[in-house]
Amino acid sequence: MEYFMLFVSAIFINNIVLVQYLGACPFMGTSKSTDVAIGMGGAVIFVMLMATAFTWPLQHYVLMPYGIGYLQTIVFILVIASLVQFVEIFLKKVIPPLHASLGLFLPLITTNCAVMGVAIMVQRSNYSFVKAMAFSLASGIGFLIALVIISAIRERLDVSPVPLVFRGIPVALVTAGIMSLVFLAFQGMAA
Amino acid sequence: MREIINMIVVLSLICAASGTLLVNLKRATKDKIEQQVLVNVQGPALMSVLAGCDNDPIAERKVVDGVTVFPAKREGKLVGVAFETAAAGYSGDVGVMVGFDLDADRLVAIGITTQTETPGVGTRIMKPAFLKQFKGHKVDSLALSSKGGDIDAVAGATYSSSGAVDAVRKALTVYKDIKPQIADLWPAS
Amino acid sequence: MSSIKKEFLKGLWDELPPFRVVLGLCPTLAVTSTAENGLGMGVAVLFVLTLSNAIISALRKIIPGKVRIACFIVIAASLVVAVELLMQAYTYSLYQKLGIFVPLIVVNCIILGRAEAFASKNPVLPSIADGLGMGLGFTLSLTFLGALREGLGSGTVFGVPVVWESFQPAHFMIMAPGAFVCLGVILAGMNAFNRYLSRKKGEPVTEPQNAVCASCAGCNLCITGKKEG
Repeated sequence: MEYFMLFVSAIFINNIVLVQYLGACPFMGTSKSTDVAIGMGGAVIFVMLMATAFTWPLQHYVLMPYGIGYLQTIVFILVIASLVQFVEIFLKKVIPPLHASLGLFLPLITTNCAVMGVAIMVQRSNYSFVKAMAFSLASGIGFLIALVIISAIRERLDVSPVPLVFRGIPVALVTAGIMSLVFLAFQGMAA
Repeated sequence: MREIINMIVVLSLICAASGTLLVNLKRATKDKIEQQVLVNVQGPALMSVLAGCDNDPIAERKVVDGVTVFPAKREGKLVGVAFETAAAGYSGDVGVMVGFDLDADRLVAIGITTQTETPGVGTRIMKPAFLKQFKGHKVDSLALSSKGGDIDAVAGATYSSSGAVDAVRKALTVYKDIKPQIADLWPAS
Repeated sequence: MSSIKKEFLKGLWDELPPFRVVLGLCPTLAVTSTAENGLGMGVAVLFVLTLSNAIISALRKIIPGKVRIACFIVIAASLVVAVELLMQAYTYSLYQKLGIFVPLIVVNCIILGRAEAFASKNPVLPSIADGLGMGLGFTLSLTFLGALREGLGSGTVFGVPVVWESFQPAHFMIMAPGAFVCLGVILAGMNAFNRYLSRKKGEPVTEPQNAVCASCAGCNLCITGKKEG
């Protein structure tokens, strides 16, 4: 039950991009077509899971016991960046079709605040390993859902008469704002 | 080969330089940070449990038997003390600042300092409805109503509530232990 | 000297982040619920960006190409940790308000983007100017957006009430939707202003710089391209 609430919370109530603002850059950049969106969303889920899987043990077995918790930022980003590099090389050699579809997005995700953000958030909320993994999965799914919705909308917008100055990113941002407003309606569920 | 050695050397040097810088910076800012944390994290709870004092509890704090005790004075006379304890709640520890009235020998109030409980559920232990049960409570025993005491847990947040209660009980024990020494530590001025 | 001035000034208008060069969206949206938070974040980024540019530029001749990105990340991340420690020591309440976005400065595309695109290829003084200009531009933009959202959303700017008696603050402005919409409108406004300027000068109207949002992708694709080479 509690895991169900965790999922609902991470996907809807505290949606990672529409409520917590994390991942806004790639959100804008890869939402021009739904296919790209699905690819990016999938890649984000994958990287988020891995990032948490590696940073959680690091925090609990290295950073905290040795009192170097303040180096969290630098250790996490290095781990995430290296991880993504290795995964890309691994995928290219071992599962080429997967690399062909996900590969382009992997480097993009290194500086995605959503991944680093989730890794840090699970530490600040003191989650156990299992909860942390569940939270990462849920956040990634929330990102995917939001991304697919907005890319579908943007595809329609591209063929609609949008005022000249709003074309492109501005109208996408306003759309994101309206979506965010809708997701805000879920806030009442928490209380 | 040379290229790889070059890469490793440069990367290691940069990491070493960064490490040295950060360790030294950490050492240099340690005390200031400790002070800031006291003022900003413990501060609000401290002020709420020691309301009515006219001194600076943080500046006059002393460590007694490993516990940092904050004194409350009125017109130079010591009237109360407060200190922080913690106990396991639902997810992680619940930190509680407990204030004692020395003359009446009772709890003044408690304030929650740190917690990572479930928002909307466990975090309700920070609301006045739960906290006011501790006001003026006697200091010899304290328990949840489910265990025969008089503190009602927050509905649906049993672990969070018992975490807070356990922390307060620890505080009661500490209070009993340090009470004899307190009067001498902050002489009337 | 004039080239240094040029590098500095471009960050203040032509390549103003995040309004013209769409980078660093996450903190822009997240911390601008008040002008003060926007200013605080902007100054932190200014600090990290300028120093990062300076250091990377100074070391650009000895950093080997293949581990370039790793070195940039170590340098930028160390600066961010240094900023975290300094903020905890001197501006704790601001640190609490900015929350998770302080460590997230390290993944702010502006920092790595400028390192890759400029600092690693130019001498120290122009790099510093570049960092200062962009950082200052970022700070001004964030403060502006923060003031706008705070003013419309809670009726104050920097905590000082600035609206008339019967004004009902639009709480929506302080929350997530308000951030997105405000930014979108500002970007549209900048586009409009640009078109007006171009038309006045008789120049052909240029494609909105918003296509540059891909520059967030761009700075990363750049990274892939070079990582393999």
